[in-house]
Amino acid sequence: MIISKVDFMVRAELDQQTLEIWLQEEWLVPQQAEPEPAFSEADLARAHLIRELKQDLGVNDEGVGVVLNLLDQVHSLRRAMAMLLDSSRAGGPNDGEPK
Amino acid sequence: MKDPYEILGLERTASPDEIRKAYRRLAKKLHPDLNPGDKSAEDRFKDVSAANALLSDPEKRRQFDAGEIDASGAERAQQRYYKDYAGRAGGGTQYENPSGFADFDRGDDIFAELFRQQAERARRAPGMDQHYRLTIDLLDAVNGASKRLTLPHGGSIDVTIPPGVQEGQTLRLRGKGAPSAGEGPAGDALVEITIAPHKVFERRGDDIHLELPVTLGEAALGGRVKAPTPSGLVLVTVPKGSNTGAVLRLKGKGAPRRGGGHGDAFVRLKIMLPDKPNAELEAFLAEWKPGSDYDPRREMAT
Repeated sequence: MIISKVDFMVRAELDQQTLEIWLQEEWLVPQQAEPEPAFSEADLARAHLIRELKQDLGVNDEGVGVVLNLLDQVHSLRRAMAMLLDSSRAGGPNDGEPK
Repeated sequence: MKDPYEILGLERTASPDEIRKAYRRLAKKLHPDLNPGDKSAEDRFKDVSAANALLSDPEKRRQFDAGEIDASGAERAQQRYYKDYAGRAGGGTQYENPSGFADFDRGDDIFAELFRQQAERARRAPGMDQHYRLTIDLLDAVNGASKRLTLPHGGSIDVTIPPGVQEGQTLRLRGKGAPSAGEGPAGDALVEITIAPHKVFERRGDDIHLELPVTLGEAALGGRVKAPTPSGLVLVTVPKGSNTGAVLRLKGKGAPRRGGGHGDAFVRLKIMLPDKPNAELEAFLAEWKPGSDYDPRREMAT
């Protein structure tokens, strides 16, 4: 589902200036940036996460970038691991769809 | 739910600052996005954030301390965490960063091949299911109806309520959930039904129970009276000498049964005197000698 910039700011409870900074920092990287950024539900959940990191967990701006970078690696690893397990259960990478 | 003070490990005298610190300490450990594989952390985090929501609001905390509200309060809408998108089988996000295992790949292209297949699968993966709740009238639940559900972020979907739907039943509307991120089919909308109480009818399973007021004359002499049922008015024969509490069964006038047929309606009679005192009735009763066996309290003898 595509979310416009205005809807995104409302649903993520962000003001324009904060959103610009987050985009600049590449904490948020919408898949479509031009002419207007178009966001996804995953971007929205990520914005909530950033807000919770800053407000609830007391992570400062430097820390947010570090946390996100590590989290992105964790998710890639988790998915690579899941794929390896899937393909080894299915008998090899060319064995078609996992369930 | 457990005591919110206990969940956060606090004394009841804790200051707002202590509450904030305790929450922060636990959230750092338990936040679902920092524990993407740990379901138990997510469950505990739910308790912790509910406890924090209660105690960090001075008014709610005061009400809780005074025993005016219990710890469960109102449940927050289920939050979607970032991990629910990033960790999805079949999906992934543009934020992925495979540099964490780039050094595993010793010339064989196993990861590249896996990621290519994965991307292909993601493109064809269906959208996510979305959950909604809809409250309907008892009559709509019994008879079926068509309802429009307004979505929280604009738009609406039409929901066809099948006759005889039950409290808590979930209707699945295929293809009415979130669209696919790629070219797959949309997910489903799952609508959980809540049935509002009705002022006349009470539903028990497939049966309908109602109380029907009758006049003294209708009860004593018998007669035909109109009674409401979920499918409309029906003529009911009140037998001569019916008392308050007598139950008449109207076969097949209840809610539709799963797999065919209908439940029954049960009509409980209730004798009503005229709204205003009636001189004739009073004069008659003053003269009336019903005899010594008319003692409605004989069963209560002490």
